[in-house]
This record gives sequence, C-alpha cells and structure tokens, in this order.
Amino acid sequence: MATSKAKSGSTGKEPSGSASNGGGHGSGGGHGSSSGSSDNLRLAEVGQSLFVKAAGVGVAALALSAFLGAGEHDNWVRFSHSYLVAFVWMMTICGGAIWWITIQNIVNSHWSLVLRRVGELIASNVLVMALLALPIVLPLILGNPAVYKWADSAQMLADETLKHKLGYLNTKFFAIRFVFYFGFWFWLSHYFLNKSVGQDTEKTDGSKTVVAMRRTAGPAMIVFALTITFFAFDLIMSADPKWFSTMFGVYYFASCVLAINSTLALTLMWLQKKGILKTSVTVHHFHDLGKMIFAFTIFWAYVGFSQFMLIWYANIPEETLWFKVRFVNSWGTLAWVLLFCHFVIPFFGLLSRHVKRNRKTLAFWAIWQLVMIYLDMYWLIMPTLGVDEVPFKLIDLTTWLGVLAIFVAGWAYRAQKVQLLATNDPRLPKSLAFENI
Amino acid sequence: MSDEHQHSPAQPSEAPLHGLLAEYDRPEQVLAAAKKIRDAGFTKWDTFTPFPVHGIDEAMGIKMTILPWFTLCAGLTGLGGAILLQWWTNAYDYPWLIAGKPMWSVPANVPIMFELTVLLSAITTLVGMLMLNNLPLPSHPLDHVRRFAKVSDDKFFLLIEASDPKFDDADTRALLNGTHPAAIEAVFEDRITVDKLPTGLVYGLIIVAVMAVVPFALAAKARYTKSSGTRIHIIQDMDSQPKYKAQRENPFFADNRATRPAIDGTVAVGDAREDDHFYKGKQGDAWARTFPSEITLSEATMDRGRQRFGIYCTPCHGQAGLGDGMVAKRADSLAQGSWIPPTNITQDYLRQMPVGQLFSEISNAVRNMPAYGPQIKTEDRWAIIMYVRALQRSKSGNVNDLPPDARASLK
Repeated sequence: MATSKAKSGSTGKEPSGSASNGGGHGSGGGHGSSSGSSDNLRLAEVGQSLFVKAAGVGVAALALSAFLGAGEHDNWVRFSHSYLVAFVWMMTICGGAIWWITIQNIVNSHWSLVLRRVGELIASNVLVMALLALPIVLPLILGNPAVYKWADSAQMLADETLKHKLGYLNTKFFAIRFVFYFGFWFWLSHYFLNKSVGQDTEKTDGSKTVVAMRRTAGPAMIVFALTITFFAFDLIMSADPKWFSTMFGVYYFASCVLAINSTLALTLMWLQKKGILKTSVTVHHFHDLGKMIFAFTIFWAYVGFSQFMLIWYANIPEETLWFKVRFVNSWGTLAWVLLFCHFVIPFFGLLSRHVKRNRKTLAFWAIWQLVMIYLDMYWLIMPTLGVDEVPFKLIDLTTWLGVLAIFVAGWAYRAQKVQLLATNDPRLPKSLAFENI
Repeated sequence: MSDEHQHSPAQPSEAPLHGLLAEYDRPEQVLAAAKKIRDAGFTKWDTFTPFPVHGIDEAMGIKMTILPWFTLCAGLTGLGGAILLQWWTNAYDYPWLIAGKPMWSVPANVPIMFELTVLLSAITTLVGMLMLNNLPLPSHPLDHVRRFAKVSDDKFFLLIEASDPKFDDADTRALLNGTHPAAIEAVFEDRITVDKLPTGLVYGLIIVAVMAVVPFALAAKARYTKSSGTRIHIIQDMDSQPKYKAQRENPFFADNRATRPAIDGTVAVGDAREDDHFYKGKQGDAWARTFPSEITLSEATMDRGRQRFGIYCTPCHGQAGLGDGMVAKRADSLAQGSWIPPTNITQDYLRQMPVGQLFSEISNAVRNMPAYGPQIKTEDRWAIIMYVRALQRSKSGNVNDLPPDARASLK
C-alpha cells in the first residue's frame, strides 16, 4: 500500500490529511465527531484581500475589453463574441456548481461533505452571473444582432427555414426564458446555501436539513436539466440559428461537470495554501475529485463524439455545415487540439492514481482542463464571426480575465460571511475520515 | 464446514503441517498481530476476517496490486485490435464503399474501438482478479478446521504457512502466542479431498469436447461440398408460403405453369395503346413531324420538359445537351479507353430528325443509350422532346430571334 509514501502536499511544511498517519483508522479517524477541530474554517482577511484584488482586476480587465471592443469599430460584434465565450465558460463553473450541490444532496453523498460549502458558495454566485450576462443580453433584447442573427426578426422572416423558428427565437421569449433560468438558479443555489448555513446553527443534529435538501434536490434536478439544456441552446447553439443538435445541452452539461470538479480541486488547494480547511480536506477527497475529472473527460468526449458521428454519418448538408465551418484551416487545427488535448492526453494523464493523489499533478490537469473548456467554447462560438482563421486577440484574454475576476470577487465577498465547512451535518465524521485506496 | 472430515489427532503422522492458525476475538487484535508478523519478515501468511478491517492492507504490508497494468495492456490491446479489425476488413481485404465514406472511416470505427477497449479491459480485470487471488480454489486445508467456521461469524484468524522460509515450529508458535490469541491450532495439509479430477469426469469432458466439434464439422461440410438435396433452412420465417409465384410449377394448369399467358385477342383495360402518334411517334409508316394532340404546347409543358430533362438526361448529356454531363466528365477523367461519349443533341442531324424518331429513340434505346420508356411517362417524354427542341433552337438561332430590346444589348 502506498499510503506511507503518500506525497500529498506541495506545501510540504504541514502534514496534510490523515494519510500520513499510517492509514486512517476504522473508528472515525483522529477527527472524532466534531469538525477538523483545529482547522481554520473562515476566510476572514484572506477573503477581503481576495475580494479587493479580484474586483480591481475584473473592473480593469472589463474596461480594457470595452476599450478594445470599441476600437474594433464593428458595432461591438467582436467584443460580444469574445465576451460570450468568456461568459459561457464561467457559466460552466457556476452551472456545474449548481448541478454539483444538487446531485450530492440527491445521492446522500458522504465523501463530498467537506467540500459542500465551498461548492454552495460557487453556485450561489448566480446574481453576479446574471449581471455579467447583461453585455450580451441587453443589446440582444434591444434588437442588436451582434452575435445572434435571429434578433433581427425581419431577416428571419425573409429566410425560408428560419421563419419557422421565429416562435422560439425571438427577443421577447428569449428574455422570459433568460429570466426563468437565472431566477431558478438563483432560487435553487440560495435555497441550498441558506439551508446549509442554517444547519450550522441548528439545535439538533442537522438531519432535518439533510432530508429537506434531499427532498428539494430531486425535482430541482429535473428543472435544472431543462434550464441548462435550453441555456446552452439559447446562448450558444442559436448563434448559428439554422443548425440544431438535441445533444448540445448534454455536451454543455458535460463541460459543466468537468469544470466544477476541476474548480473545486483548485479552490480547495488554494484555501489550504492559505491555511484554511487544512486537515478537513485530505488527499482522499482530492483523489475522488481527480477521478471525477478523469471520468468526465471521457464523458465529454463521448457526448461530443456522439453528436459529431451522427451528423458525419448522415452527411446531411443542413447539419454538416456547422461542422464544416469549424474544420477549415486553423479551426480544424483547433478541433484536432480539442480531440487530443481535451480528451486523449488528459485521459492517459489522469489514469494513474498517483497523479490524482499528488497535489501538483492534479492542479496541473485541473487547470489544463479548464483551459481546454475555454478553447472548446471558443471553437463553438467564434466561427459565427465568419472568419476563416482562429482570430485570437488580446480582447479574448481581457474578457476572460474580467469575467473570471468579477466572479471570484463575488465568491470572496459572500464566502467571507459564512464558515467554510458544514460542521453540523451528521454525515461529517464519515466525510472527514473518508479513505480512498 | 464439513463435520465428517473432523480433524483427529491421528492425522499428524499422515499429513504434513500446513501452518499455524491463531484465533482472535477483536479486529484490533488481528490488526496488531498482523503488524508483528509483517515486521518479523514472514511472507507466506494471511489473515481472515468476517468483514473488511480498516488498515489491514497496511498492517500486513500488502503491496499495491499489479492488476491495473493488466487492465491497461488489455485495454490497449482491445483498442489496437479494433482498429486493425476494421481497417483490415473495410479498407484492405475487402474494400467496400459504404455511404460514400472513405474506405478507412475512423469516425465510424470509433464505437467498436471504444467497445473492444472496454470489453477486453473488463474481462481481463475480472479474470485477472480471480487469478491473482488463486481463485477458483476448490479446497483449502482450513476447510477441515472446525473452529475456522467462525470466520464468517465473529472471529478473526491469522495463518502462517509452514512453507514460509522463516517458519519454525516452536519460534513461530511463540511469536503467535505473543500476540495474545484466543487459541492457536496446527493446521494440516488436506489429504482427504482428492486433488485429481475423477476419471469419470475426465472421460466425460473428453467426450463432450469431441462431440462439440461435430456441429462445426457438419457446418464446414455443408459449406464446402455440393449436395443435390434441398438446402438446410433453419429459420423458416414465412419463407415457404402456400401460394404460387411466377416461374413456379402449378399442376392445376395443363402446361404446369403458374404464370398464365395473356389471352389471345384481349387487351387489359387502359392498355389499348391505339394512338401510334402518341405512343410510338409514328404517323402511318413515317416518323411523326408534329407533336401529338394529347400534348399542349404550352409554357407549362416546356417547364415540365426542362425539369424532366434535368432529372433524366443531364447526367450524360449535360445541362445544355452538349454531351458534357457529370457521367461523361468522370469517364473522361478516368480515361479508360472504352468510353463512347454521349451525343451532343444540338447537332444538325438531330435538329433535323423528326420528333417522332427522337421520341422512339429515347423510348426504345439507341446505340449505348438505354431505353427510357419504362422509366418516363409518355407525356413526360414528349415534354422532354419539346425541351430538346428548345435547346437545339438555342444553339442555332440568329439575332432576329431575339426580342427587339434584347437585340440592342448585343450591338
């Protein structure tokens, strides 16, 4: 057994996790029934400084993006595309978090409990996301077809195929749907966060909250599935209004799961570096997150390929055009990059348990996959600009940085207010003592 | 466990010592004992517990299994095998165009690649796990130890085998005593259960193995020899139906045929094609020079003719009838030397040919062109002829044919 050789800390200075103590012991480990008792559970000044820095970077980056966007002199088309890519990338993390907390509640998962609060905090950043969506949604509702050609309903009516889609693809219905998606996500994430935080101070052992959250999670998952699917349709797929794929929602969802697992791993590593939750989250939890990243790398490829293969085989021009545009010149190179770097290489990279249990390598692959998800979103959306080559520009970097920083600021702002571990949950001892071979 | 094979003191002289068994009441005890035995350097020993005990792997010093490497190798073999299988069969040994895709279509191959990877990995993992655990193990000396029955209830055991290099009857017993077991017992080799397969079973297996070859041999014989008997038709479906098909025998009729010839002097309703002009393009003995009365010479007919020409004629004759259709172009590019090009229908002799003759040629085939009569309705064939005339006219007009306003643009 490799536990005695477990190298779980890149920080190295402090003993991280119970693994180094000669294997977890059967009777709940050294943590007993209270929380990682000596563990720091609060963000405090770390959070404040993060909030300030992130907010500053975010505002600066977005301002620079606006400046660069205006400099394109194309009525904000280039800016909108770039911003949309950054936005949907960020949404894979936020939406993934909402999915994540729902599923953990449905299956009554024990191992993930130590991560739950952090996940809930990522998920409940929905308001920030809704605000971040405004640069896309507001112009759209006001009729500017920067990204979405269907915003111009006159043009839609003129086209033989598109006029039938007008009932769905019109700005009014879009606005209603948009409000519904974000309203539901806002409600759900805050429901879980509030219930969870309330559980911390509950007089009894917290099991009533567990049951309540589980009861809500079931139906909520169904609605979530619908909202994330149609969100993907509305914001990404409709950029090419003639094309359609029923698999597209699942494809976006796969990226969401991959994103949240990567993000959770990275967030917890960062928190532990800052001295928070140092003993509560162990190499075993990171191992499981690594397994999830591995599994959903495969799942993403599976779904993406399913979508591709059917269209390839049927070879119907109505459907293949979307892919053809994304296979020419450097778009084709990017497609190959996605195949190899988003699937093949991480597959073999993440196979070994040692890779998943080592902080540095896990962080490497988590960051790698988040970058790949961004490239994936780029490949999905940017070709609607109508250019033959991949048009990477500074504005893509600044929009991404701006969106990410604002999101992080929002997270840090809220995370300061609560403790970062669900200490009163009856399942916590099992989670703290969790062992992964 | 088996009561009738109760261990008796007489056995030590018959059967050699298999090992020493220590019994414990609590999991912590077996865990502590395991550490001691591990530290003492023993290699051939094992623990037995009713439920998995946390930390026992480490206490026993059990190394990580090599099974994942088996799985990886098997998975890669499956992947490579799938690629090889599909490339060989579809692109090399029997190249076969499917749906216009490349001979070696990697996207189409992916499902099989995925499936074989997973299949070989899974089977290898299962079989490998069993093999690495020495399973199936039909018999073990511990089966004959009475107290060992409690291992599935509430007792924990530790066995050190006598074949271990560090084993010494007295020292090892002392070491085990130091772990404070509830009891220590000597376990002897199993001399009661036969370790050879029963001869009856062996003969039975041989017979079954030989008989198993017979169906394959029969199938091979049926496949590679000729026979005058009827075919073996296993899955009957609805293949032999009590009805008469054309070309079959029917003894009801004098000529024994199921197909009945048309009755002399009769014509089916709707089949009386009396209008030679319309159906054959002939007026009397001569080729018709005008269109039959059934055809209205209107723009609608011309349009229909253009459409039908586009469907049936352009592949060979081209859009303008010059003989440069896609089939002709492909044949030219192949340059195989045996191609006779399609006619340029705007040539003079065809312009002068009567419409009736043109009609007959396209209906009944001429030279290398097949008969289109069976394919195209009579009205449509006349419409095509009308359009052909228009094409011919387009290549032989002069400036006075143009309307006055168009004439100006040419000047």
